[in-house]
Amino acid sequence: MTKEKLMKFGLASFMTLSLAACGTTDDAEDTDTSSEETTEETDTSSDEAVTLNVAALTSGYGEEMWNEIETAYESANENVDIELTLAANLEEVIRPNMQAGDYPDVVLLSVSREEALTETLIKEDGLENLTDVLDMNVYGEDVKVSEKLLPGFTDTMVTNPYGNDETYLMPMFYSPTGLFYNSGLFEEKGWEAPTTWDEMMALGETAMEDDKYLFTYPTSGYLDTLVGSMLYASGGSDFFESAMSYEEGAWASDEATKVFETIGDLSQYAHPDTTANANPNDFTQNQQLLLDNETLFMPNGTWIVGEMEEAPRADGFEWDMMAVPAFEDDADRYAFTFFEQIWVPSEAQNIDAAKEFVTYMYADEAVDIFAESNAIQPVEGSTDLLTGQNEKFYAIYDEGVLPAMGGFAATDPVPGVSISDELYGKVDSVMSGDVSVEEWQNSVIEASDQLRPALQ
Amino acid sequence: MNRKKRERLFIMACLSPAVILFLIFMVWPTFEVFRMSLYRWGGFSNTQTFVGLENFKILWNDSNFYRSFQNTILLIVVVTVVTLAVAIFFANILIREKLKGKNFFRVIFYIPNILSIVVIAGIFSAIYRPSQGLLNNTLSLINLENLHQLWLGDQKIVIYSLIAALIWQAIGYYMVMYMSSIASIPESFYEAAALVGANKWVQFKDITLPLLWNNLRTTLTFFIISTINLSFLLVQTMTGGGPDGSSQVFLFYMYNQAYTNSTYGYGMAIGVVVFLFSFILSAVLMKVTKRDVLEF
Repeated sequence: MTKEKLMKFGLASFMTLSLAACGTTDDAEDTDTSSEETTEETDTSSDEAVTLNVAALTSGYGEEMWNEIETAYESANENVDIELTLAANLEEVIRPNMQAGDYPDVVLLSVSREEALTETLIKEDGLENLTDVLDMNVYGEDVKVSEKLLPGFTDTMVTNPYGNDETYLMPMFYSPTGLFYNSGLFEEKGWEAPTTWDEMMALGETAMEDDKYLFTYPTSGYLDTLVGSMLYASGGSDFFESAMSYEEGAWASDEATKVFETIGDLSQYAHPDTTANANPNDFTQNQQLLLDNETLFMPNGTWIVGEMEEAPRADGFEWDMMAVPAFEDDADRYAFTFFEQIWVPSEAQNIDAAKEFVTYMYADEAVDIFAESNAIQPVEGSTDLLTGQNEKFYAIYDEGVLPAMGGFAATDPVPGVSISDELYGKVDSVMSGDVSVEEWQNSVIEASDQLRPALQ
Repeated sequence: MNRKKRERLFIMACLSPAVILFLIFMVWPTFEVFRMSLYRWGGFSNTQTFVGLENFKILWNDSNFYRSFQNTILLIVVVTVVTLAVAIFFANILIREKLKGKNFFRVIFYIPNILSIVVIAGIFSAIYRPSQGLLNNTLSLINLENLHQLWLGDQKIVIYSLIAALIWQAIGYYMVMYMSSIASIPESFYEAAALVGANKWVQFKDITLPLLWNNLRTTLTFFIISTINLSFLLVQTMTGGGPDGSSQVFLFYMYNQAYTNSTYGYGMAIGVVVFLFSFILSAVLMKVTKRDVLEF
């Protein structure tokens, strides 16, 4: 080694050592500070300083509320430093890290999304059991989570995906869904919002005479809440559960047939452009059909108002929402309650701190912060925070309409079989006449038969 | 250390970064695709169950896979044949003919190639829209309302709508490649041919095409690879595989199975079939198009 090389090596070693020394000093200081914080903070259950990685989907509610939650929780619980990951394409952001073993501690990401990350973790037993969270006190309050939550929200197949009483996903922001329409147009024409399917089809005929169509949907995936409400209306909650858990004969029953046939009848009154626009690029064109008074009804959620806020519309347009019509006069009508979910991966580093953070989601302070962005938590009294149009939408259950909730039971992954492709995706083919109602029902029965042995 | 040995060491040192990167980013992932195709795995858990060729057996009976395979083959064949013919035709005109605004056309043809596929999906969605779309409205303008179609809504048409977008996107790139080959053919060949009375078509058939052949063979492989890749992106952004899965291509189906359906191992089995298919197809095309290389 030449003298020059030796000098370079020496210099490099010295610099590396100095940097390492700096690092050690910083670490030591950090530890000191955190131990001070720990001694000061005695009222928390976890007494060690933790960095909690929270990943949340940025949806129509925006990012601001999560930043406020971060600040509020950090000042309420000084032991916790929150690192937020917010993205509209959250799956694409967190999936590679998760596959490399780096899991977030808390994730707000619903089931029924295109990428199905949450479903994958359910199928792979990758979620932490959160049943004990229900018995924990809401962070900073002297009340249990279960006492604060609205009844029914943790008894669904979505929150308890394995069909027992164990809760793995906690409910978040809920919103009623239904059939959206322009009440301004109904007023102008003197039409009544139909209460039964017979009235609905009769209105379809009347609308046709006026060069309007009765029905459209943004994409076939939006039919999940419509079909869910119809299954409830057709056979009640027990029937809904049996269909969702692939019970033998459920999808071939008279109750199911009634739902398939009604949607088949509806296809005669669907706007002809629907299937051409029902794709990721053009689905707003289908929503626009309502704003332009070309179509009367569309299944959707309360977020539609914000989503189409900038879109041009017919004079006198006013959003309104009705429950899914009943099959007979005076029969029960349902409006499916859509809600998001928050969960903790079982591979998370700070499970206790994560559960504590989940309880905070139902604290009055957090509920207020969320409500400012129109994200309504399923807790007692949260609807009092509603204003304007949202107040009207959430009042749907005050008018005798029953809430419907739930989703498909978890199964082990079955290659090549997707119940939602068969049940919702095939509606495109029913609408265009490529597939008959009977063929559609048979394909759902076949998929259900294939998934039944894989139930978890 | 003798000179030869030192030279060899130097060459190895120079090659090693590329070889290491190739091994890490190409060979290893490919090996992993083949390995994972033999497992049942959702993508996250530590429970990877070895199932042998079970995934391939399921694939053998999966009608959705066959549909996506058919769509992909149709795309590859039609996009390749049409793009090739149109690109050679325009390349020949732009180089061989005295045309005003040659450079202008060259740029116009090339522009689609610099656009992202998402932008192309946006443009073609606007063209294909049923009521306000450019295509249906243009047909109305020339009194051809009876030709109105739901370009993305009709299951029999949607795949051809995708084909048109892919051809539009690809022409410029291949045209430029062919132009460079045609431009390097000595002018004297054409002059001599003209002197013996050969017309344009004979000149093209007997001079341009044989001398372009090698370039053309290379682009055939490009056609296969780029059509398979770009069709996935276009389907993902423009139709989402719909209506009712009628525009699915096999990479889209693979992605759906690996992620949306939580069957990662099955997705990788589809990946193996895609890999072997594109490899074998390229090899067969190379073999059947082999000619003696003509030099000038």
